[in-house]
Amino acid sequence: MPDGAGRSFTFLEQAAIADQIDTGSQPHWLRELKESGASIFKKRGLPNRSDEYWRHTLLNQLVEIEFQLSNESPRVGQKQLSQVALAGLSSYRIVLVNGCVRKDLSSIGDLPKGVLIAGFNDVMSLLPNRLEKQLGHYIDLKNMPMAALNTAFLKEGVIIFVDKDITVDKPIELISITVPNKNPTMSQPRFLIDLGENSRATLIESHIGNTEIPYFNNVVSEIIIGEGAGLDHYKFQDEGTAAVHISTTALRLHKQSLYGGFILQSGGLIGRVEASAVLDGSDSDCRFDGVYLGRDNQLLDTTTSIKHVATSCKSRQVFKGVLNGNSHGVFQGKTHVSIGAQKTDGYQLSRALLLSRDAEISTKPELEIYADDVKCSHGATSGDLDADSLFYLQSRGLSPDVARRVLVEAFLNEALAEIKLNEVYEGFRSHIRGWLNKNINQTVAE
Amino acid sequence: MALLEIRNLHVKVENKPILNGVNLKIEPGEIHAIMGPNGSGKSTLSYVLSGRDGYQITDGEIIYNGIDLLELEPDQRAREGVFLAFQYPVEIPGVVGLTFLKTALNATRIHRGQNELDAMDFLKFVREKAQSLEIDDEMLKRFVNEGFSGGEKKRMEILQMAILQPKLAILDETDSGLDIDALQVVSKGINALRDANRGMLLITHYQRLLNYVRPDKVHVLANGRIARSGDEALAQELEEKGYAEFNVFVE
Repeated sequence: MPDGAGRSFTFLEQAAIADQIDTGSQPHWLRELKESGASIFKKRGLPNRSDEYWRHTLLNQLVEIEFQLSNESPRVGQKQLSQVALAGLSSYRIVLVNGCVRKDLSSIGDLPKGVLIAGFNDVMSLLPNRLEKQLGHYIDLKNMPMAALNTAFLKEGVIIFVDKDITVDKPIELISITVPNKNPTMSQPRFLIDLGENSRATLIESHIGNTEIPYFNNVVSEIIIGEGAGLDHYKFQDEGTAAVHISTTALRLHKQSLYGGFILQSGGLIGRVEASAVLDGSDSDCRFDGVYLGRDNQLLDTTTSIKHVATSCKSRQVFKGVLNGNSHGVFQGKTHVSIGAQKTDGYQLSRALLLSRDAEISTKPELEIYADDVKCSHGATSGDLDADSLFYLQSRGLSPDVARRVLVEAFLNEALAEIKLNEVYEGFRSHIRGWLNKNINQTVAE
Repeated sequence: MALLEIRNLHVKVENKPILNGVNLKIEPGEIHAIMGPNGSGKSTLSYVLSGRDGYQITDGEIIYNGIDLLELEPDQRAREGVFLAFQYPVEIPGVVGLTFLKTALNATRIHRGQNELDAMDFLKFVREKAQSLEIDDEMLKRFVNEGFSGGEKKRMEILQMAILQPKLAILDETDSGLDIDALQVVSKGINALRDANRGMLLITHYQRLLNYVRPDKVHVLANGRIARSGDEALAQELEEKGYAEFNVFVE
């Protein structure tokens, strides 16, 4: 079995092979960008215990298993697709299978003027100059080894551009499905979302894999929100039970812009969703909220960082986790207030419910404040369900399991209440109920 | 057959004896009041009857409707018709009152072999009961007991009793913390549930509630035993003389 360094080398070998195939067609800047990703990853290697923000999230699977870029385009039917889509939602939909855009499954239809939703390769031939100016400019590869790895492979993905003053009339649905191959599959998709001044959009991003076969999905998103613009971004991580899902999102918020992010994470053997925002213009408002549901031997990591650079910006984070079995939750949330960022309003709350004795939570809230006129607070709690509440519900005839489910759902409501779009709220709630029914049923199991 | 028969009940809490041989028999249709000084074991008795954790039964038995009550879990007892109105009802943020009531009612209905009520029928049923307790829709839509006043919490307990229609209701200090208006509303709610098939056990420190809900029998619990039993007149006597004659040992 190779060690971490050996595996890092085989990742890069694959990237180099993939790159050779493209050599003829790719512009110089893209080549340089990929090489910078490769060289950073080569130097850093896979994250390990000595990386401050990876201490709890060891990627042993990536060392033990040789994942390969998928060359095939597996069959996926509309029926399979409808199982993962949100019920009753009318959307502009773009679908990736094993990391590659599939036009046959996407239904983008007639987009409003000034909106572009397309695969990376189409945009490369259409608007290469714009990609050159933006791609890789918003993400700190040096401190994000997995994003550097993704960059070394940069070849597939989705680009969304919304022009100035445009409101996209329907949500944009980005669905990534993984279908197992003969060899353990790896995907390295890249997303770039750029909202022009005063534009508005809603993005629903789902990562699904209905399989017990291991695979590796390493996603990177760069999101730019122009002055006065707003994005609601819902992310659903429901990868297969043996999957490794790593996603790194870098956000840039300009003056008076709004970002509302909600993450529902319940899939994968290892799931890590990392989001970092730079609040660059005054009066911007950034929210990260989410729910994670862990069972068996899952490790679910939520890592956020919000950097207040400009004055009078708001940030708010509410995360609720439920951990069952031997699962391990990680929450690392950092709020940084730069010296000039006066009148910052930052709030962060992380609460975890441990439903079994073997479940574990590691929480690391951080406040780094260099300005003097700010309002910042954070809170973190973890614990079991309240015994008095459980007894009260049981004394009214609710079985212990039903009582527990009722209380867990109540616990999650505070975070779910942040969801604005009704179809997403209902969809996420029914996913959570399904999870609770499956995972809190000890009476039946006994 | 008695509705409830407690025989020689001994209970310890954290190895400290609290009940030392309680005997009590309630027939269907009867209302019994248990009075007693603080620390006499009144609340312990109510929790043991409803099945709360943390009480060691060292001797005795409780036969309810011909079955061994101590063998049942709290939720099974509730579905069999045992109801405890809490002295301190629990606040449960995040759980909407109506949803809670519906879940509770349907759990019991399924157990009794009845259909679950749908949302419309349920709402009609609840509103009817809620009205006489002066509980409006707004209160039903709030989270269970969250931010309720003492009186609101107690009215909500009686509403739950009215909805679940228990065979045996245990009301633990339901009169505590109520002003005279609230006491009247709550008493009216309790009296409305008087029924030839239903038994009630009123646990109270003061005689006040018994002016409104008139008991068939009154017992004095002191030092973990029933020290005296009688009729309404006993409550009156206690109101005048206090509990001094019962020689309470305070450890």
